[in-house]
Amino acid sequence: MSESQEMAVILDSQAAAKKGPGGFAATTGQWTIHQVRGLIQLISIAVAVIWQGLQPLTWRRTVRAEFFQQCYLVGLRALPFILITGSLVGLGMVYQAIYWLGVFGQTKFTGPILVLVLVREVAPLFVALTVIGRSGSVILVELGNMQIDGQVRMLDAQGIDPFLFLIVPRVAAVSVSMFSLTVAFIMFALVSGFLAGNALGSLDVTLQEFVFRILSEMGLVEFATIPLKTFFIGFVVALIACTTGLSVTRSRSDLQAALSRGVTKSVLAALLISGLLTLLL
Amino acid sequence: MIKGIADHRSILRFEKVKVFTEQGGSGETIDLKMNLFGGDLALINLERPRFGSILADACCGLHQAAEGSIFFLGKDWSALPSDTANALRGRIGRVFTFGNWINRLTLLENILLPQLHHTRRKFAALRDEAVHLADQFGLPGLPMGLPDDVMRTDHQRAACIRAFLGQPALILLEEPTFGVYPEILPPLIHAIRNACDRGSGVIWLTLEDHVWNDPLLPATHRYRLTARKLMEVIR
Repeated sequence: MSESQEMAVILDSQAAAKKGPGGFAATTGQWTIHQVRGLIQLISIAVAVIWQGLQPLTWRRTVRAEFFQQCYLVGLRALPFILITGSLVGLGMVYQAIYWLGVFGQTKFTGPILVLVLVREVAPLFVALTVIGRSGSVILVELGNMQIDGQVRMLDAQGIDPFLFLIVPRVAAVSVSMFSLTVAFIMFALVSGFLAGNALGSLDVTLQEFVFRILSEMGLVEFATIPLKTFFIGFVVALIACTTGLSVTRSRSDLQAALSRGVTKSVLAALLISGLLTLLL
Repeated sequence: MIKGIADHRSILRFEKVKVFTEQGGSGETIDLKMNLFGGDLALINLERPRFGSILADACCGLHQAAEGSIFFLGKDWSALPSDTANALRGRIGRVFTFGNWINRLTLLENILLPQLHHTRRKFAALRDEAVHLADQFGLPGLPMGLPDDVMRTDHQRAACIRAFLGQPALILLEEPTFGVYPEILPPLIHAIRNACDRGSGVIWLTLEDHVWNDPLLPATHRYRLTARKLMEVIR
């Protein structure tokens, strides 16, 4: 939905609010219609991205270059940050699990607990929040500025479809990067937790045995959960960033409002997807 | 026709066209009537600044006609599916007055982008052609920096390189001499002559009377675009 349409909804809502209880119902109705319309719009764009992403002709060399550039920006450049945060989470969470389960003589639960908490829940969500903060907001601002400065229109005038050139490679790159970063995060967390446990004498197994214990607790569901959650969250986060950025048409102040709206939507979407997939799988 | 071997096919034809002065179908309408053939240079004097992008967008099929049809290479823009329309836009070279560059790409990447997107020509071949055009437009080489790091005057030359790169069928020049008049005229006229000889059509849009009246410009048609219509001026 464009900025002007959103403004119209807000103005309608404010006018309705002045009319008392009936106005409240009208406001709620307006808000609901607005949100449902936005959701339908997002789903239709998502379908279009998937459809276009599957067409070989979409992946021309310029689009491929954009994809690799975004993989570098979203994925590779975030790796040092993921290394640090993954290690810190490992030190805290994995070491705590190893230590306390050891104290109570329940070390056999180390694997299941780490798989359930770290691999299935914490890692995808933590990486999602990192990607939203580091990359989603950057994509949103970049596309918003391009829209305001007429660069999107310039692409259109040159026959370069902004949907193919800007949205498809970014959505694909964020999805792939989200998965890769989550795997890296889990690895760093497990290794740092193991090293901390070993250094403090809470662990009496080798790294190989430790990793084997974790992996043996991972069934088909766990192996499916990581790619499903990460690709899905990455896809939606990138889609929200792109569509919110491109919906800005007027000024930089609109861009600021769009940024906070986009980040809020992305965080909510990530939490919702994570929760839903946990319930379903 | 300027000279030489240009063919007589119609490059761009406005048939009983009316376009709105605002995007989204509002404002007044302007009557447009023009038939641009291969080898033609149409020099258009604009009454108001924003008319330039309206007309240029209409030529590219981005500004829909309120009435009538706009034909590019014999095809009606309004009847084309979006992928075909985009492919056809790849045959148009354009100097923009607004939003000329993608800020995060270097000028070289910006220059090569449309050709890399629409053609399968080798990168080296494109770069060589761009180097040749850069030399022609008085640049010591291809500008490698980001748009913000390059001098304004070089921007205009780089925009001309992009517009003429890949031998487009139609070249739209929106204020190509802005900030570089008159020193850009000799290379620009040379490039226009070459393009016209190959059968391209060129449209040059300007607000400035002295550019429009410049006798050096090899215009085959001169027009004035007022708030009401596009009028041909016979001289």
